[in-house]
Amino acid sequence: MPRLTRLLRNVSDMTKQSSNLPEAYIKRAMDQVEWKTPNAIQYRQTEIKRRKFRFTTNRPWTQQFRQQNQPGTHRKKVFLEPVPEWTFFKGDRVEILVGEDKGKQGLVNYIVQERNWVMVDGLNCHYRYIGKKKGFPGMMVKSEAPLLVTTQVGLIDPSDGKPTQAEWRYTEEGEKVRVSLRTGRIIPLPKLAEETPDYKTKSTYKVQEKDTSADQLTSITFEPQLKTFAMEIAEKMGIKEDRIPRKSFWY
Amino acid sequence: MTTDKYFKILPNSAFIHTSGSHKALSEFFDNEKNWGESEVKVGRAWKLDELRIKSNEDLHKLWYVLLKEKNMLLTMEHAAQEENRLFPNPERIDKVEESMKNLEDVVKERNRAYWLLETGETGERPSSLIEDELGREVHKMFDEHPVPMDHESEDTISKWQDVRNFQRLMKEKEFLEKRRALRRVRSHVCKLLRRFPDVDMEKLQQQYPEVDVQALRKRKDSRGHHDKNLS
Repeated sequence: MPRLTRLLRNVSDMTKQSSNLPEAYIKRAMDQVEWKTPNAIQYRQTEIKRRKFRFTTNRPWTQQFRQQNQPGTHRKKVFLEPVPEWTFFKGDRVEILVGEDKGKQGLVNYIVQERNWVMVDGLNCHYRYIGKKKGFPGMMVKSEAPLLVTTQVGLIDPSDGKPTQAEWRYTEEGEKVRVSLRTGRIIPLPKLAEETPDYKTKSTYKVQEKDTSADQLTSITFEPQLKTFAMEIAEKMGIKEDRIPRKSFWY
Repeated sequence: MTTDKYFKILPNSAFIHTSGSHKALSEFFDNEKNWGESEVKVGRAWKLDELRIKSNEDLHKLWYVLLKEKNMLLTMEHAAQEENRLFPNPERIDKVEESMKNLEDVVKERNRAYWLLETGETGERPSSLIEDELGREVHKMFDEHPVPMDHESEDTISKWQDVRNFQRLMKEKEFLEKRRALRRVRSHVCKLLRRFPDVDMEKLQQQYPEVDVQALRKRKDSRGHHDKNLS
């Protein structure tokens, strides 16, 4: 079913990758199950749950996201121009093509692939008040507004510093690279692209208490033997099993 | 003494189950320095390729390490809920579960290799696509029985007409669902064309292979409030 596959593709790869969270957790945190059949043989397993979500700058596992997608809320469908290959990454230099900051260049600091959005550090900003209470007017903060990657921003080609369209291609060594369509030059991925809340870069990850050390992780202890898992463990523990099971029938 | 006779077969070590540190019940709880923390950082789950290079004994040990960790996390989650407090980093549970799933997959992989080599069968629970009572194709996991299947005692009442009726209705339902889904995609693509007249048609076709985008372009519902309409 085409419709089903499209619905399952809800949370984008960029969001998953930048969060460094397991997919099962994101799914669990997003779930809004209203009713589910008991897990028993007499029921045809069905569930009533929210299937359409409005994605915003709030990440799907956050409380704010849950609040924006409260049960009973219905938002209009958002139409997105298809972007089959995502080419924007955190830390990329882009030029803004529309609005008040048109022609200015900046670094991408936030990506919402579900909406084709990027946010550019310190550009295309608006002001808003937070913490407004009775007797306190709130605090004014400056925050970036999202821009559409299809029409509103252009990736900068490092060879000439001008905006361009980009595409993924393979080098002769079989490496996947981002290439500028205008000049054909490679646009290298920024270091910030692999940043997650757990580490800035993979090499600078700080080892936590319960982590397995790299030596232990990469040491090869497997030796192929003509035994099943249970047979080998039983032998190691000194359990002898020589009974022959009775013939059984499967149907 | 019959029990003595039985227990003598196994060495004593098989019955003693010890864990690294003898903390008894408190092993169900997290380290005390993590209590009340708002964030407890951990690494990622074990990947399949990392588990494939480990010996069976290592995997066996790791399974119990993971199981203890999962028990601990579920206890802490429950305790936090009881106290109406925040359980830090709930994704830890999913990471442990993912690791356990990967570990089980690797063990199954090894067992399957052994059985295929020795007997030519996978050694797993047999299953196959069968036609059920209503004439639907379903994937059935078989059960183990001590005696072979008795074909004679099966229900001999003819359900032929009922099954035919059911099949007809089911096919109709499937057809309607399919048509509805296609219509939904078609209308979605028309709305996209209306909103984005400059859209790359090839990319659009790539994303919606079940419809003919060029033909939809000419439709009335694809006309937008701009001068890029085709007809």
